[in-house]
Amino acid sequence: MPFQPRHHRPPIHRIASQKIGTRLTKCLTECESGEEVIVLRVNAGYGAKTRLANLGIVPGVKVKKTKNAPFRGPIEIKVKGSSLVLGRGLASKILVSCNNSYT
Amino acid sequence: MSDHRPDIKLKNKGMYKDTINIALAGNPNVGKSVIFNQLTGLSQTIGNWPGKTVERMEGYLNFLGYRFNIVDLPGIYSLSTYSLEEIVSREYIVSDEVDVIINVVDATNLERNLFFTFQLLELEVPLIIAINQMDILRSRNIEIDFKALENIFKLPVLPVVAVHGIGVHQLLEEAIEMVVFQHPHTHFNEKTRDEYDHHSHNYYRTEHIHDKVKVNSKGKNNFKFPDLSKVLTFGKEVESCIGKLIMEINNNQLSSALIKYPPRFLAIKLLENDEEIKSSITNKEIIKIADEFRNQLEVIHGEDVHTIMSSEIYNKIHDISDKVLIIKPHKGKKKVSLADVIDHLTTHSILGYFILVAVLFGIYIFTFSFGNFFSGLIDELYTLWSEFIYNSFGEENLIVKIFWDGGLGGFLGGIGGVLVYVIPFFFVIEILQDSGYLPRAAFLMDKIMHSLGVHGKTIIPMILGFGCNVPACAGCRIMETEREKKISVALTSLVPCAAVMTVVLGLVGRYLGFFWVMILFLINFGVIFLIGRILNKVMPGECTELIMEMHEYRMPNSKVILKQTWLRTKEFIYKALPIIIVFGILLEILLIFNALEPINVVLSPVTVLWLGLPAITGVFLIYGILRKELTLVLLSILANSLNVTLLELLTPIQMIVFCLVSMLYIPCFATIIIIAKQTNWKYAAQISFLEIGLALFIGGIINLGFLILTSF
Repeated sequence: MPFQPRHHRPPIHRIASQKIGTRLTKCLTECESGEEVIVLRVNAGYGAKTRLANLGIVPGVKVKKTKNAPFRGPIEIKVKGSSLVLGRGLASKILVSCNNSYT
Repeated sequence: MSDHRPDIKLKNKGMYKDTINIALAGNPNVGKSVIFNQLTGLSQTIGNWPGKTVERMEGYLNFLGYRFNIVDLPGIYSLSTYSLEEIVSREYIVSDEVDVIINVVDATNLERNLFFTFQLLELEVPLIIAINQMDILRSRNIEIDFKALENIFKLPVLPVVAVHGIGVHQLLEEAIEMVVFQHPHTHFNEKTRDEYDHHSHNYYRTEHIHDKVKVNSKGKNNFKFPDLSKVLTFGKEVESCIGKLIMEINNNQLSSALIKYPPRFLAIKLLENDEEIKSSITNKEIIKIADEFRNQLEVIHGEDVHTIMSSEIYNKIHDISDKVLIIKPHKGKKKVSLADVIDHLTTHSILGYFILVAVLFGIYIFTFSFGNFFSGLIDELYTLWSEFIYNSFGEENLIVKIFWDGGLGGFLGGIGGVLVYVIPFFFVIEILQDSGYLPRAAFLMDKIMHSLGVHGKTIIPMILGFGCNVPACAGCRIMETEREKKISVALTSLVPCAAVMTVVLGLVGRYLGFFWVMILFLINFGVIFLIGRILNKVMPGECTELIMEMHEYRMPNSKVILKQTWLRTKEFIYKALPIIIVFGILLEILLIFNALEPINVVLSPVTVLWLGLPAITGVFLIYGILRKELTLVLLSILANSLNVTLLELLTPIQMIVFCLVSMLYIPCFATIIIIAKQTNWKYAAQISFLEIGLALFIGGIINLGFLILTSF
């Protein structure tokens, strides 16, 4: 196989935002603490996606980011009245819209 | 269904069913174990963090003339096959072993909890919904319309305050109603209940009732599940796929593993691509059809089927909770609660770490000061009595030597050297567990733990490991992947447990001071870090991300804490003290006949030459594998019988090396067994040898270092 240069891929939220057709999306890690957003898409693998769905993180759900752990640690969100802690890697795969009118 | 049952069995069992099997199921940390404890009086561990119940616990009670077998299932979020617990729970719930499932629901978190209830409804099992923590919800001025909920689910829904035992026994009354009288009695059916008079205690046993009661052995088989199609239907596309799949499933012969599941549940799980069910379906045609449907649905919705269905369920739940929750207007201003303030402080980016360190220090300082005080008292008593005994029986009396020095010396060594440290320790750990601090620690430590190849949850078993490694290693179950389980078990087994702590505090802390104790602990934590790094490098695979629920702080319940502390202490007394006494006597006998020499000679190259310890300690270290505190207890027995203090027996350097080796050299016997259970024997052996090697290496280095330092 010939040598292929590594593709420089645009950040994942950019790809998805192009699909959706808006630029009003960002990933959960980019939200400010205290911000209330709507989940648009979970770009994780099947296992993680299932687990998040079981915990109430499905597209269309309102979540509130409450806390950032120090040193780029996990984030805390409120979903349907319960607090969840998500690892930063996973949180960056959750696409949200800060535009509340989007439903 | 019961027609074919042999008559003899009917006679033996009576004409009615008098044993009712109940399973408690629900999300983690909703209070299943609290209800279980309230009902059975047993001592299932409880606390405010998800995943305490590692294995299902069984208990029974007699109530209203019936025998109830109650099973406490581990908390799960769904019935998919994400984890082993979910598969096991699912199979258990549909099996014939259970007559009624009690679904415990957290009132303060209704929407998420009802998601699991929906999954249980799909299984069409006799279900009672218990809504727990109603007191907390009411304190927030929110009420639940139970009548409306029952109207929706057509199943009994009951309010419960498990910590105070309110409403717990009503659950059992409903269970009787459901199993014996064969109809899911709901309050929305209030008329039918009036026919049966009231819930008097004699009522269920009166003769004329028995005529009415159908003879049934397996309540489940006869149970008519209410028609909930209104609640459970999905969207049009999904529903048509499910309908076609159900037809296919009905046309085929199912294997025995699947016959217990309702076809609709199988159809849904097949659409969701559930590996467990797929593998047990023999007819590959069905799987093919399901795959086709799944692809169609995913194309239509642009999402995978599980997400589609979950969001539909969540939408329905949202509507239900809108109808059911009655929010009363707040009187006055909303106050900032203490729990919120504590939550804010303990997860603060700088203060949080200070608090974490302070908490861990606090544990040690509290235990240390409490233990030291009482251990001094007991020592004084012992010397006082010893003089008396020696004076009246003579010091060289063989029996006195064996039973007084060995037996009672061991006993008091166990109480004075170990128990007085263990009790306050358990107490603090219980408070930590019950308050809900542990998930916060996980939140703070997640980033740091990632460098050891695991996510933050590992810190929970590790902190518990300060109490005892055995339940802590069992608690490593909460880790999701095999790799993380392995790493966290290894890390947890290295945490200095209460027994190790007593050795360190009782020897180095007592004779050399707190500074050296700190040094020893620092070395220990260094080793933990090192092993984590090594395992992270060596083991294949990657670290997964943290997904954890963080529950609100709650005031620790003093009754629960005292009871749990007492139960743990009792367990310690029953399990450890006899061993300590027996070994004390054994050691005395062996010492008298000089039988320890051969073992010590064999071990002496390691103990004497490399570690610079007295030869006798070789045997102690071997005993220490059974229980770590034995090393200290036996040492003090030896010192007693030689009539010297420990300070004369060991030099300070020897003490430090001895403690360090006892801390690290091997997980105790029970821990090794638990590690093997959690992973496998090969891994347990590997961990043990790795730790022995490391302990000897570090101990030797310190010994050599001191030798070199002192020679200058």
